[in-house]
Amino acid sequence: MAAEIDLETKKTEDPRSIAAYLVSRLKKKGADDVVVSASREEAAQLKFSNSLISTTQSWQSDKLNIFVAIDKKLVGTSIRDMSKPAADDAVTKLLKFAAAAAPNREYMGIAEGPFRYSGIPETYDKAIAGLGETAVDILSGAINVAKNNGAKRTAGVLETTVSSSYLLTSNGVEAEDTGTQAYFSIRAFVDKYASGHHVCNSRVLRKFMPEASAEKAATIAKQAVNPKNGTPGTYDIIFAPLPFANLIESVGKASSIFNVESKLSCLAEKIGKRVGSENVTLVDDGRLPNGFNSVRFDEEGVPTQKNVIIDRGVLKTYLHNTSTARRHKTKTTANAGLVTPLPFNLIFEKGKFNKEEMIGQVKRGLIVTNVWYTRFQNYEAGDFSTIPRDGIFLIENGKVTAPVKELRISDNLIHILQSIAAVGKDQEALFGWEVEIPTLTPPVLVKGVRVTKSAE
Amino acid sequence: MRAVAKPVKASKSVDALDLDLARFAIDYAGKIGASYADARLESTQVNGFVLKNGIPQIAGFDRVSGIGIRVVMGRTLGFACTNDLARENIRRVVEKAAKLTKAASRIGEQTEFSDAKPEVANYEVKQKVKLADLEPKDKLKVLFDSEKAIKTGKVNVPGRFFSMSDFYTERYFANSEGSRVLSKIPRTDFWYFVTVEEGGRTAQRYWQYGAAGGFETITGYNFPELLAAEVKATHINLKKAGPAPKGKVDVVVAPQITGIMVHESVGHPYEADRVLGREAAQAGESFISREMIGTRIGSETVNIVDDPTIPGSFGYYLYDDEGVKARERWLIKKGMITELLHNRETAAIVGDKSNGSARATGYDREPIVRMANTVFKPGDHKEGELIESVKFGVYIKNFMEWNIDDKRLNAKYSGAEAYMIRNGKLAEPVWRPTIEISTPKLWSSVDAAADNMEYHAGTCGKAEPMQAIPVWFGGPSLRIRNIKLGT
Repeated sequence: MAAEIDLETKKTEDPRSIAAYLVSRLKKKGADDVVVSASREEAAQLKFSNSLISTTQSWQSDKLNIFVAIDKKLVGTSIRDMSKPAADDAVTKLLKFAAAAAPNREYMGIAEGPFRYSGIPETYDKAIAGLGETAVDILSGAINVAKNNGAKRTAGVLETTVSSSYLLTSNGVEAEDTGTQAYFSIRAFVDKYASGHHVCNSRVLRKFMPEASAEKAATIAKQAVNPKNGTPGTYDIIFAPLPFANLIESVGKASSIFNVESKLSCLAEKIGKRVGSENVTLVDDGRLPNGFNSVRFDEEGVPTQKNVIIDRGVLKTYLHNTSTARRHKTKTTANAGLVTPLPFNLIFEKGKFNKEEMIGQVKRGLIVTNVWYTRFQNYEAGDFSTIPRDGIFLIENGKVTAPVKELRISDNLIHILQSIAAVGKDQEALFGWEVEIPTLTPPVLVKGVRVTKSAE
Repeated sequence: MRAVAKPVKASKSVDALDLDLARFAIDYAGKIGASYADARLESTQVNGFVLKNGIPQIAGFDRVSGIGIRVVMGRTLGFACTNDLARENIRRVVEKAAKLTKAASRIGEQTEFSDAKPEVANYEVKQKVKLADLEPKDKLKVLFDSEKAIKTGKVNVPGRFFSMSDFYTERYFANSEGSRVLSKIPRTDFWYFVTVEEGGRTAQRYWQYGAAGGFETITGYNFPELLAAEVKATHINLKKAGPAPKGKVDVVVAPQITGIMVHESVGHPYEADRVLGREAAQAGESFISREMIGTRIGSETVNIVDDPTIPGSFGYYLYDDEGVKARERWLIKKGMITELLHNRETAAIVGDKSNGSARATGYDREPIVRMANTVFKPGDHKEGELIESVKFGVYIKNFMEWNIDDKRLNAKYSGAEAYMIRNGKLAEPVWRPTIEISTPKLWSSVDAAADNMEYHAGTCGKAEPMQAIPVWFGGPSLRIRNIKLGT
């Protein structure tokens, strides 16, 4: 059966030459700005449940993303086949689409290159790239560690990715990067109502610690056996790094100027104002060594950098790309997103307390080891609720007294930030099901958090 | 609901897909030792538009195509995919997946599939107004008209965010047992998020509309009118709402609330892969166990089905992504738990047959157990009769915030537009009445259902990596007796 574009007989070109061809052709046809990015990704996952591998998954993807601005009309598409006929076809369609689209009068262009890029330590490891079937042995070891620490069953994923990217723009930018990632998520169960969850990630194999995660997940599960019904009220809550990363991610997303303008942010009109306690310093770092999402350049080719979003409780900046920065008369923070700037790796600065010291400060409180299903009633106000899952532990008079269950945190994001009374000294790198933006954070103690539960 | 074209036989020509590639992948998997193999060859054309506060953001078009292959090697299931459809590459991808799966088999689950009749079928959803025939400006007009309807109103709406996408998916499924199913399904998707301001306070609302069909599904909704009414109601609620009553009251919920309740508190916990622990680290497990089938979970009024075959529905399909023929699944009948949602793997574990619930969002994801269109069956009452029967209570029309624990036992549904019911009549608006309730208590407290069926669209998330899949959820207005409202 005839394919629209004959994928098997066309002459395949190097992605770089096709990118150059696309930029040249589109500029000749009247484009103001062109960004072409080639990406290649190969990933493999072992998904396990009931302590056995239930599926292996392998992904392979090659594509060229194309962004064009013509008379402030912004159009994007992608192509998979690296041939001149396919590129010509894309150019024709882009021009036709742009001709019929409407202008974005707020668009202010892309960055002027060229730029110089330097490498980021610990972002590529050939040991991950060549891991292959050895991943099964690593997973097997982690499952056994969980079992040896009391888990009756475990579930999760172990995943590795190798990726490369190349970016070329009509403003003189040419950039490339390669990376590897390893990610592990494990949920351990002692019984249906006693579970613990932990995740870990790394760009290099020697710092990838799935067995340590397995031990932590199993330990939480074991401690969570026979939970009693929790009671609603106001609690001081020690958020372990995993659930706090989920909340911090909401703060990180709220710092994107796109979300500020869309009323999806509780940080609107708060630059220079206090949004958290003195204990709150939040940074985004696209160049974090071994950062799960570290990359040399953003989507328009600007070298990534470190940005302090909140400094000792005061909001310092929103995250910008070149266009939004020009419109707001500031500099890009190198967080493009050509449309939506976003954080790369969020870092909540560590404090000085160990876990016992934090527990000791709490008269009536909870330790929350995980949350899920965070939903907002009003993004601008910051009103939300989220549900603790896995081990929840009651603290009474400075001591952990019992596991509890079936509670909901119903509070306000700004109130949470302003009520952070103590910050732990040990950070963990989180990423996963409920943490889409990699986040490095310690545990924190938040005073006076509102907790609800089902009435019946 | 609007009428949408019924599915008809597809034409034999397929522009974008070389169907032989699926057979090639399956045959090659067999040659290298797979005891079972299937392939999904897919091409999706996408167009998308976003309007933020009256300004068009990027517009996009794309054709996403590739092949996803499953193999059983040794005892374990492996999935692999690629968007490079050269035969040499497909061979390489299958080999790599087979090698990894064979190694994994050492600590792998014993994969078995329930018996399923090989199906040969070819179907498509017709478009009255073809998506491909429209220019971008025709689609953008819907967004601009919505913007205009809000801007020309009297309500201050500082945040206005609209997106619209259309998809045309050609999918060909084949397996080593002889199934060959070709489908062509167009879908449309409209999403809005508005922020209404009054006296320095704001209220926000979002909602999604989606269907299978052509552009007629978009124009049929009349979004400008719908959005103008939405911001007006939200503004009245923001300006005039009093506190919601505390303590036990009767509650009448409108179809949007019924819809989210059946999706979250029934559909998800009835997914057999959750019941069996297969999604434990991601979407979670379920309070439902296999042993609970045949036991009571709600009142006699409660009848809930999941049905992929509803014409024009967002979750529409006639054959699932394992080639099993789709049918209506009765999850709760007269308050009794009757059936779980199964794919061929979960059905084999419990000694049953698949009821056609395997879905993948695209060629690059494994098919897992999913809902399609989950609905509460209509009752005999009029909505007005439900309201008239309540002396003191609350009517909740829609919501903003909701969540539920990962076993699906404790849910929160926080109302947006809502009114007091006093002596059988709708009275003043109330602020955020919140139902925070356990699933058995919820369904045992429903004592009447109206006949005003509505279907609403959602994008349901599950799996890792995430699979956000189109679904409908819906039902009629329900009367829920004597439940405690939280805050």
